[in-house]
Amino acid sequence: MLIIKNLHAEVEDKQILKGIDLTVRAGEVHAIMGPNGSGKSSLASVLAGRESFHVTEGEVLFHGKDLLDMDPEVRAREGLFLAFQYPIEIPGVSNVNFLKTALGEIRAYRNLPPMDAKDFLKMSREKQKLVEFDAQLVNRSLNEGFSGGEKKRNEIFQLAMLEPSLAILDETDSGLDIDALRIVAQGVNKLRSADNAFIIITHYQRLLEYIIPDFVHVLYNGRIVKSGTKELALELEEKGYDWLREESREQAATI
Amino acid sequence: METGSAITWKYPSVILQGDNSTGEFYSVAVTRNKQIADTGTKMHHIGRNTRSRIISKGISAGQGQNSYRGLVQIGSKADDARNFTQCDSLLIGDQCGAHTFPYIESKNNTAMVEHEATTSKIGEDQIFYLNQRGIDSEKAVALIINGYAREVLNQLPMEFAVEAQKLLSITLEGSVG
Repeated sequence: MLIIKNLHAEVEDKQILKGIDLTVRAGEVHAIMGPNGSGKSSLASVLAGRESFHVTEGEVLFHGKDLLDMDPEVRAREGLFLAFQYPIEIPGVSNVNFLKTALGEIRAYRNLPPMDAKDFLKMSREKQKLVEFDAQLVNRSLNEGFSGGEKKRNEIFQLAMLEPSLAILDETDSGLDIDALRIVAQGVNKLRSADNAFIIITHYQRLLEYIIPDFVHVLYNGRIVKSGTKELALELEEKGYDWLREESREQAATI
Repeated sequence: METGSAITWKYPSVILQGDNSTGEFYSVAVTRNKQIADTGTKMHHIGRNTRSRIISKGISAGQGQNSYRGLVQIGSKADDARNFTQCDSLLIGDQCGAHTFPYIESKNNTAMVEHEATTSKIGEDQIFYLNQRGIDSEKAVALIINGYAREVLNQLPMEFAVEAQKLLSITLEGSVG
């Protein structure tokens, strides 16, 4: 579904991604871990199409199409979803209105007829249950006055409503208490299917106890330095990231 | 709802002569390109127990300059007068301007006059967030502006409100990015 080849990118004249290779197939959950500054969130931003990030080399294919050539809204309509680390507040725009507009755009792109209000409300109520969302929160302005946990749950609620094929969760677990974490993780687990895929970016192994990944990759200094299965996450939790810095230094010395 | 000429001066006003009378002013004023708008209202409180409410929302885009100039005047015999003024400015892009000139003249010390002002801009992050949900930048700005102007547009009868919303989108077409 997603093929990243030799991706290099810079932001504010600083090289932040230095050759990323990654393949994600339908039905898979990949976890990307790494210390601060390794490029995890940058990778998410580059995939989503944030303007401030410039791709200097490499290519990304999404459903066989050139992702880097698409505007961010086209990438979204193709089925790419980014659950933001810091969801933005947009006062005056209600959650419902915004979602209805977004869903309308995505459906139109896929040549589907617009959803009528009744079906939309029904779908909305169903998905709200997934993230234990209060109906009242849905009627308020987008993320306005939401607590950190509510904002993250709103991201997952939107994920449930928009039904993307690839969802990137950027440090969705940061700032969440145990209950909010459980709700978010359960929501994601219920949405997993053979047709979609998830990239979960996180520092900590905690979230991965609930959302069990098929693959774990460690990003360090703009490159994926190690890949493995869920055991790798446990190893990192035990040893920390210093061990990787050591290994990477050894590797550099032998070249 | 004001979309302006090149230069606009406009101050529809209310004289609150009768006791218990009220005056309300709701305005959305849009400037773009090189338009200059200096608009507002004058509320003259003369009778007793009068009320006035001013909600002014300015939207500046391009190199537009939007000024709010409002006068709340409380006469000496205007006992227990009350005014609430909210003056908001929304800036689109970095070349436009918004200015506020509130005037309050009170000759009666039982009056209660409140003034609130906010200035905000449409952030790149907000637009990117909406982009990432499949909404293109023009629609994103339209959504944000409609949300911003809603308090005023809600005061209009429905048929007019629909047209006003459309007018707002058309006026701001092409003024983003």
